[in-house]
Amino acid sequence: MTIDAALTALRETHAAAAEARVLVHRGTCGQAAGVERTLDELRGIAGTSLVEAACDGACWAAPAATVIRADASANGATHVHRFARLDESGVVPLEACLGGDCDGDGDERNGGVTERLGRTDRSLGDALAGGAYAAAAQALAMEPGAVVDAVEALGLTGRGGAHFPTALKWRFASGAAEAPLLVVNAEEGEPGVFKDRHMLEGDPHRLLEGVIIAAHATGAQQVFVYINGQARNAGAAFERALVEATEAGIVGGDALGAAVDLEVEIRSGAGGYVSGEETVILNSIEGQRPVPRFKPPQITEAGLFGRPTVLNNAETLAAATLLFDASPPSTKLVSLSGAVPRPGLYEVAVDGGSTWATVLAEAGAASHDIEALLLGGPSGLFVPPSLFDQPLEMAALGAGGVVALAAGSDVAAVALDLARYNASESCGECTPCREGTQRLVALLEAPALDRPRVDQLIDVMMEASLCQLGGMAGRPIASAIELFPLAFGVGSDAEAASS
Amino acid sequence: MAAEIADSTLAAMRAAVDVLPRRRDQLLPALIAAEHAIDWLPEAAIEHVAAHTRIPLSEVYATATAYSELRLEPPVEGRWNVCTGVACQQAGADALVDALGERAAPTACRFLCSLAPVIERHDGALSGRVSVEALAALTDGAS
Repeated sequence: MTIDAALTALRETHAAAAEARVLVHRGTCGQAAGVERTLDELRGIAGTSLVEAACDGACWAAPAATVIRADASANGATHVHRFARLDESGVVPLEACLGGDCDGDGDERNGGVTERLGRTDRSLGDALAGGAYAAAAQALAMEPGAVVDAVEALGLTGRGGAHFPTALKWRFASGAAEAPLLVVNAEEGEPGVFKDRHMLEGDPHRLLEGVIIAAHATGAQQVFVYINGQARNAGAAFERALVEATEAGIVGGDALGAAVDLEVEIRSGAGGYVSGEETVILNSIEGQRPVPRFKPPQITEAGLFGRPTVLNNAETLAAATLLFDASPPSTKLVSLSGAVPRPGLYEVAVDGGSTWATVLAEAGAASHDIEALLLGGPSGLFVPPSLFDQPLEMAALGAGGVVALAAGSDVAAVALDLARYNASESCGECTPCREGTQRLVALLEAPALDRPRVDQLIDVMMEASLCQLGGMAGRPIASAIELFPLAFGVGSDAEAASS
Repeated sequence: MAAEIADSTLAAMRAAVDVLPRRRDQLLPALIAAEHAIDWLPEAAIEHVAAHTRIPLSEVYATATAYSELRLEPPVEGRWNVCTGVACQQAGADALVDALGERAAPTACRFLCSLAPVIERHDGALSGRVSVEALAALTDGAS
C-alpha cells in the first residue's frame, strides 16, 4: 500500500467534522475563565455545528469561541473569526457572524506546530483532515538512518530547554546493542511554562505522530509518555488520542502503510520542579524516589531500567512532525505571561527576524512598559529592555517560559521569591543544592548584600550540584544583581549599563 | 485519623491499587490510584501500597513525601490555594491571600500563568483572573 493510499483510506474511515463550525474553546484556560457559563447560549445559536476544542493559545481571549465559515464575500474561501471574552461581549456578535456579518478577530496560521491547536475537536478524523500522520507515514517508508539524517538537516534541537541536537541523541541510542526505550518528557514542571499542556490538550495527535517518527528513527518499540499530574485535561486528551489511533491501526497496526509495533504507556507525574529533570523521570517511572542520578553513564547508554534510552521533550517530538514540510519553520513555543495585554502561547519564528520587541508587540505590549522579562523561571535570567531589539536565538530561549515584569517592578523581590522557590523545591539529594539554596535565601534576606559571598556560593552550586535545579538556581539571582544592582543596594544601574 | 475514613472508601482504595501489577515500577501509579480513591494518603494507603508493590514501607513513605501533589493530610474544604508564581504575584496574588485570610494557602505555580492571578479550590478546580471583588462570590458560592 502506498503512503497516499494508506492516508486516503484512513481519512475515509475517520471523517472530520463539518468544515463550517463553531469551536468553543473549552480547555483548561476556558474552564478557568468561566466558559461553562456561555455553553447554553452557544448551543442555542450554533446547534449541531458547535464543536468543543481546547485553548488555541490565545489564553487572553478566554472564554472564547471561533467561527470557521465560508465567506460569500471572499468567493467562498474559509475564514476564521475568533470571538474573545464572551463573558464581556456576550454571544451577539458571534450570532451575527453566523448570519453573515462577521467582525471577530482573524487568526490565519501558516504551518508550525500550532497550526491545528484549538482548531480541532481532538478527534482522529479532524487531525487527519488537518494533515496529521502524513509525516509519520513518509518517515515509516524511509530507512531509520535516513530519518535521523533528515532531522539533522532540519537542525532540530531539544525544546525542553537544553537545545541538544535531536539527531545526535537519536544516533547515540540507535547505535546501542539493544533497542532503546523512548521516554517523552511532558512533565513541564517549570513555573511559567504551559506549552506542552496546550499542545496535548489542543492537538494530542501531533505528539503521537512525533512519537511514531522518533520510535522508527531510533528503533524503540516501547514508549513511556510522562505527563504532569496536574495537567489532567492534557493527560486525558492524549489518552483518548492513543486509544483512537490504536483502534485505527495507526499504533500497533499498519494503517500508515507500514507496521508500527509500538507499546505506548502513559505515566502521570505527581508534581515537584525537580520531577522534570530527565534522570528524575527515569527514577520515577522505575518506582525509585524522584531524585536525580549521577552522570555518566549517559542515559543513551544506560537509562530507564538500565537500558539505552532516548528522552525527548514533548515539543521536540511535536516539531519533528514538520520534517517534510516544504519549508519547515524554525519555531519555538513561548509561554508568555505577566504584564502584557494578551498573555498566551506564541509560536515564535526563530529566523533572525524575531526579537522580544516583536513578540511583545504581538501580545499588545510596548517595550517601555516592561522593567524586564524573566526568561526561564527559577533557573532562568532577566532580559532588560536594552536587549529587546536583539534577534532571538534558539539556544538562548530555554523552555520558552517568559514572564513580563511591569515597569517599576521590584526585581530584587522577584529574585528573592525565585531563590525561596528553589530552596523549597530542592530534593535534598546533594549538599550543594540542599544547603546552597537555603544559604542563598539567607544572603539575599540580609540587610546588606555580601556580593562576593553570593558569587562564590553560586559558583559552588553551579559546579557541584547533582542536577540543574541546584546548578542553575543562582542564575536568575546573578542576572538580577548584575542588571539591577541598585535594587540590591550595590553599585548603580548606570554603572551596570555602561560596563 | 484513619478511623474517620469509611470502610467502603478504604476498600475502593485497595481495589484501585490491586488491579496494578505487583511490580516496583508501579509505585507511583499505585500511590496516585490510592490518592484518587481517598483524596489523600492516610497511613492505611501507604501500608497497602507497600504491601502490594513489595517495597519497604520506609521507601514508600519517602517517595510519597517527595511529590508535591501527593497529600499526607486530608484536603481542607473551604481552603483555597492561591498561586504565588511570578505572573500571579505580578497580577496581585498577595491581595487575594490577604482577602482570603485564614482560608488562603499560598501555593507554587499552577501553570495557568496566562490567566493570572489564579486560585484553586480544594478539589483542584482552577479559577483565573480573580479579583478581590470577585473573590467573595467565587469562594462563597463554590466552597
